[in-house]
Amino acid sequence: MVEMWRNYLTVGYRALTKNRTYAAINIVGLAIGLAACLILLLYVRYETSYDAWLPEADRVYQIQTFGTDPETGQNIAMQAVTRPIGDALAGDFAEIESIAKLETDPAVVLQGGNAIGVEKSAAADASFFDIIQLPFIAGDRRGALRDTDSVALSRAEAMRLFGTTDVVGRTLTTARGGEKFDLRVTGVFEDLPRNTHLDLTMVRRFNSAEEEDCPWGCVNGMAYAKLKPGADAASINARMPAWEKSNVPARDIGGRDIAATTDWRLTNVRDIHLGPAQGGDRPGNDMRTIVTFTIVALLILSMAVINFVNLATARAGQRAREVAVRKVLGAKRRQLVGQFLGESLLVVAIAMTIALALVEITLPAFSRFLDADLDLAYLGGSGLLLPIVGFTLLVGLLGGLYPAFQLSRYQPGAVLKANKSSTDAPGSARLRNLLVIGQFAVSIGLIACTAIVYHQTVFARTVDPGYQRDGLLTVRGLRNPEAQAVQETLLREIAKVPGVTAASATRLVPAEGPTFFNSVVVPGRSAPVELGWYSVDPAFFDTMKIDRVAGRILSRTHAADSIAIDQKLDENAAEAAARAIVARGLNVVVNESAARQLGFGAPAAAVGKHIGIPIFGEDYGNATATIVGVVRDARFRSVRDPVAPAIYYDNGVYRYIAVRFERADPAAVRNAIEGIWRRLLPTLPFDAGFAEEELAALYGADEARAQAFGGFALFAALIACLGLFGLAAFTAERRTKEIGIRKVFGARVRDIVRLLAWQFSKPVMLANIVAWPIAWWAMRDWLNGFDARIPLGPGPFLLAGLIALAIALGTVSGHAIRVARLNPIHALRYE
Amino acid sequence: MLTMRELSRVYRTDTVETTALDSINLEIADGEFVAIMGPSGCGKSTLLNIVGMLDSPSSGSYVFDGQEVAGLPEAKLADVRKQNIGFIFQSFNLVDELSVRENIELALLYHDVASAERRRRVEEVMDKVGIAHRARHRPSQLSGGQQQRVAVARALVGNPKLILADEPTGNLDTQHGEEVMKMLQQLNREGSTIVMVTHSPSHADYAGRVVNMLDGKILIERRRAA
Repeated sequence: MVEMWRNYLTVGYRALTKNRTYAAINIVGLAIGLAACLILLLYVRYETSYDAWLPEADRVYQIQTFGTDPETGQNIAMQAVTRPIGDALAGDFAEIESIAKLETDPAVVLQGGNAIGVEKSAAADASFFDIIQLPFIAGDRRGALRDTDSVALSRAEAMRLFGTTDVVGRTLTTARGGEKFDLRVTGVFEDLPRNTHLDLTMVRRFNSAEEEDCPWGCVNGMAYAKLKPGADAASINARMPAWEKSNVPARDIGGRDIAATTDWRLTNVRDIHLGPAQGGDRPGNDMRTIVTFTIVALLILSMAVINFVNLATARAGQRAREVAVRKVLGAKRRQLVGQFLGESLLVVAIAMTIALALVEITLPAFSRFLDADLDLAYLGGSGLLLPIVGFTLLVGLLGGLYPAFQLSRYQPGAVLKANKSSTDAPGSARLRNLLVIGQFAVSIGLIACTAIVYHQTVFARTVDPGYQRDGLLTVRGLRNPEAQAVQETLLREIAKVPGVTAASATRLVPAEGPTFFNSVVVPGRSAPVELGWYSVDPAFFDTMKIDRVAGRILSRTHAADSIAIDQKLDENAAEAAARAIVARGLNVVVNESAARQLGFGAPAAAVGKHIGIPIFGEDYGNATATIVGVVRDARFRSVRDPVAPAIYYDNGVYRYIAVRFERADPAAVRNAIEGIWRRLLPTLPFDAGFAEEELAALYGADEARAQAFGGFALFAALIACLGLFGLAAFTAERRTKEIGIRKVFGARVRDIVRLLAWQFSKPVMLANIVAWPIAWWAMRDWLNGFDARIPLGPGPFLLAGLIALAIALGTVSGHAIRVARLNPIHALRYE
Repeated sequence: MLTMRELSRVYRTDTVETTALDSINLEIADGEFVAIMGPSGCGKSTLLNIVGMLDSPSSGSYVFDGQEVAGLPEAKLADVRKQNIGFIFQSFNLVDELSVRENIELALLYHDVASAERRRRVEEVMDKVGIAHRARHRPSQLSGGQQQRVAVARALVGNPKLILADEPTGNLDTQHGEEVMKMLQQLNREGSTIVMVTHSPSHADYAGRVVNMLDGKILIERRRAA
């Protein structure tokens, strides 16, 4: 028995080394395919591992908001919910054990006379850490938010603020709204891993007494629920609509009935990252990307396996004599199948070893590139040793089965009598052709998709957004009352910085900030129109470089261009001032989309027209707004989203300062502005970013994925070529006799090359017919996800087809020329 | 038709030098039927390959149809070959993937022959060797004798001046072997020049002249009385 296996091993080893090209293609091709597949699957596993590490994750849910915008018909899905939902739900569903709010609350810590910004800070209810059970390294998790002055820090935040993690009981002074609050550190939790939707370094106790009143219409943050063991979230979700009807006050806010248009649903924490509701602290991903990556991984693997099978069956014929001799000497078919399966497993095992080495080498780079914590561990709970062994067996059997059965089928008599060293099983040539067509279809499809994805990515980056992206700095923090107090001084000082050409206070900047809406009443139409509603100062348009299309932009010289109310007025005086402004009316500027949505055919037709807007809320009624100008559409958000119709007005209350600079060192401009900020606002942290970088960060994940997709697509093409190279070598060899005959009867080298080239061009061309419709369909679907998109023309498809053809011909012609040059007598004599 | 003077062919490997043909002098006239005989390894096939311009002599002269062909480059040889010579092999060397008709047509594909003319000549030659009823079959569906008839037809279809047959009966039983020999004899009577390598003395008797070789040299030539 041992002897027999030793004999198998010897023969298997020699069969491999006899033809090194074949062995190299087989093993290297398979190894590369396995490595690519492993990396992709590690990424997929990582992306699906989000928040699964949380203790009792199966019972922890986020309450998410879903609905349909009654005006635009767009689906709403967001992680944030209205604040009252938590308390309201808690008592009504027996399955819910506890509920906690978590609201993002950037903090300012005062330490040694410095203001230190803590961006990833949040306020949460007392039970938060009972639901989201972060591992604590100091202090008691359970009581961490018991008191109204409790605060817990992450390890890194504790190190940053105190230089040690031994901080339980220490005091943290924070500044909020111009007042100081002392918080007591109750615990330190481990820094969050990357695979979580949370992004926190500081959690303080939510204190309802400090917070402004928040009705059902406002959406402030997240809410988490922990269900009792065995409870079914689906059943809660099913009962939710009925509960909403009887519990949510049917109060109109912004012209719509919340209860009727909004739906709340429980989503398990593990499903948040890939779920439809996004807009959390960390960028999410969608299931489609994960499915796409899985498909690409399996395609690459199947191409490598196809190569393996193809080459094995092709070569199998050449071992016919060995099979025949073994059979004559008494080998049973079962033994032969075993032998060839064993050989196949041997090859796959070698390939897998190489693949694992490749993965180890490339994984850190991929991790950085895809911004993921990819990890290849062999042992332990999530160890990959067993899956890898299983994978090896599966691929080995998959690749070995067909050749094994085909080979063991040879009738020894026929093989030996024909005195042929090689023979080809009937039908196996057709199978090989089909597999080659399949491979090239995959390659062509992936190349075409890559070209389109790349083109769209470049387009998205370079498409005219309607404003100028470079040379734009966004300074945050103007919401703060202290900053508002010195707003004019800030703007004046910033304007004096060398290189700065304009500065504007605004509620709208690229890539960030909330979307504001207001209901606009158009005379002659019954239903109000929901339009974007942004307060900007008159310098906004020059700062952003948004072109005027008709009429004029806002200006300080027209009193009605501003609806600002003096902040120092007392409540009664302010209300009177508001009523006076509503009665007076105001001037607004709209963008082209808004003009269209309001029903004006041409931009110029909108100028001078009146619309009704509840500028201070429903209680004050609609003010008459006069459209004094129309400006170009500007795309401040993703190219995935349509340009929002917007009304620009000026109420003197903003969120950001936008700074336009030209011909100046961006870092110098930023430093100069930081100096001004620190001088005027020593207790507020300076927080600013270049619009271009922030846009890049926003879409960086998208781009990285697109590039990864492209990389792997080229990979698939490479593997297909490797297979074709092997097949071409084999075919050239197998057709040696035929080529010899043709040469004897007068064929020239170029006749032979043409013959072989055509043989391999045919499957590639057929592959186009398979690949094009599928790629077209997939890409149409993908491009439809963008508002600004490239047209889907035949170019990328033809390009992919030509590339595949060129690769195929290049691969084949080398062999063809070599074989065509051989002296035919050798071919004919030794057959 | 052809004249060889002091023609030698030497094969060299790193360690061994083998003289396959040693100073051969041979003349073959138009319309002759020559059989080459001799034991295995005597150089018959090498001689036939050189006659057929599939191989080139190491030294000496080979004049074919008034033209010196020794030393011509391969592409030139291929031109001369396809104009003038038809081949018949022991193992038939038919292309398995092509039908009988396509195998025969193969010999015309690389000549400038219009397709209608090509078809006519293929039909004609298939009739001549009696294989027309098998035109659509694949070689693997035919008996050995039928396969060799296809090979003969393929050798004839280009109207060659010279037909070379390398043991055409070697893979055939006696009855089929005789059939093929009669066919070659008939072709010779109709004017074809034939050079045939054979092991069989009885088949050699069909030829007008028998050349016996040993160790790369011509041992005896004898002519059969016509």
